Amino acid sequence: MGVNLEAAAEAPKRLVKTREEAFESLFKSEYARVAGIANRVLADPHEAEDVAQEVFINFHRLHSASAQFAPAWLHRAAAHTALNRLRGRRRREKRELAQAPEEASRTVDPQRMLEVNEDRRVVRAALARLAPKPAAVLVLRASGLSYAEVAQALGVGTGQIGTLLRRAEAALRKEVTRGTSI
Amino acid sequence: MFDDPDALTSSDRGHYHDCADCQARFTGMADDARAATTMLATPELKVDVASAFKRVQAAPAAKPRFGFSLPIMRPASRPMFVGLAAAVVLAALVVTAFANILPLFQPTTVQAIPVSVADIQSLSALSEYGTVTWSQQPTPQVVLSAADAEKIAGFNAPVAHNLPAAITSSITYAAMPAAVAVFTFDAAKAQAAVAKTGKSLPKLPSGMDGAQLTVTVGPALVEVYGNLNQSSASSQDINLPQLVIAESAAPTVTSTQVTTAQLIDYVLSMPGISKDLAAAIRAVEHPASTLLIPVPIQYATSSTVTVQNHFQGVAVGDNTGLGYGVIWINGNVFAVAGPQKQSVVLQIADDLT
Repeated sequence: MGVNLEAAAEAPKRLVKTREEAFESLFKSEYARVAGIANRVLADPHEAEDVAQEVFINFHRLHSASAQFAPAWLHRAAAHTALNRLRGRRRREKRELAQAPEEASRTVDPQRMLEVNEDRRVVRAALARLAPKPAAVLVLRASGLSYAEVAQALGVGTGQIGTLLRRAEAALRKEVTRGTSI
Repeated sequence: MFDDPDALTSSDRGHYHDCADCQARFTGMADDARAATTMLATPELKVDVASAFKRVQAAPAAKPRFGFSLPIMRPASRPMFVGLAAAVVLAALVVTAFANILPLFQPTTVQAIPVSVADIQSLSALSEYGTVTWSQQPTPQVVLSAADAEKIAGFNAPVAHNLPAAITSSITYAAMPAAVAVFTFDAAKAQAAVAKTGKSLPKLPSGMDGAQLTVTVGPALVEVYGNLNQSSASSQDINLPQLVIAESAAPTVTSTQVTTAQLIDYVLSMPGISKDLAAAIRAVEHPASTLLIPVPIQYATSSTVTVQNHFQGVAVGDNTGLGYGVIWINGNVFAVAGPQKQSVVLQIADDLT
């Protein structure tokens, strides 16, 4: 009596679609930025996209795409996931280098490429040695996030970002110097 | 000031103009900032959002690993609780792995150990190294009153005092009688499971094949604060409980045929277990009486706190800053968690009776 069975049956489907639509919209608006943050850390486009997709999959499993904190969550997760990979990569490289020092020293590339790769390696190694928060502040800011966005992503007050950033920049420079003088 | 020169007030600007110290500090900071910008510069990343979205859509959906879900929360309404549930399941696995030969493992204190996703996957693989049979299935039930929950759990429901006004007085009770799982190591299954991953199985200690671990969890009682039936369908907002208080009998484990030392060595030699995790576990002072709380480092942070001025507890916060939880043992294992500030959760834990 007055009950629209068709509409009632359609409701759950509509709900699913809405959830998926919200996720798609979030993905489209944030994917490039999330991948950019990961790339800033890893300096490797393929691995960066890998991280970005992992971050979105995790987000989709855990949260609603229409949650207000979604972009901040994604930015923070991108920075931390990429930094974790960077640290893992460093450990792996160290291990491989220890196991095959001769092989590593035989690698031959054009001079410039070697230099660029070496610079990137030193900077990434220094970034991996920083504490998680300063490293994340640097990466998020360098990826174009505003002070307010960095603050939201890290769950700190906007007023703290300037100081955190200054300290992180000084720490990075120190670590890079340390890395190149070893 | 370096990022936004206009942020200076005129009096600041006047001071800066005359202060050699400030000028020197600014020069140093500006140098650092320029250096950091240069060092972190990367070629512009070109992404194909549409195909990336297709790849993400094709990723398999998460399924409950142990074949049952908590009855209270729908998948969309349990962001941080997924983490907590994972931690509990993992705790059971770790406890299993570190079970003492008699006298049985019966924890009296808690300690956090950091784990990575790779560690979790490796530890989860343990469940494929044998057969799990439930001699008493976990049967969590949502009940109507504290009295019903107490009847199932066999102990009084914990009472929270002085709750902040923002937390609702609407409580949903759930309880579970004790569940008992028996895990039997099977060398052939372990070999087959490891072969699938292309890695080699660390040598099984003698007596490991056929060794049995009996794990008892619960009884447990959970109080969920919040109107869980409120519809959030239209807005898709997360219908998150405001607070969860749980009490459970401490898990106990007994094992046959293998010793603690053998088990620890064996588990830590498994492929995929990181050196960090191995070191953290080896550093535990009293493994026979310490309940290890695995904290997934990518999603949560942890610290040691003192609850009720006496008990050592592990406080876990999720990385987004949305929620916070604390776990401690006072005879039974207690947990208080929710999307609340750390200070609020700790105060509730301190006042719990």
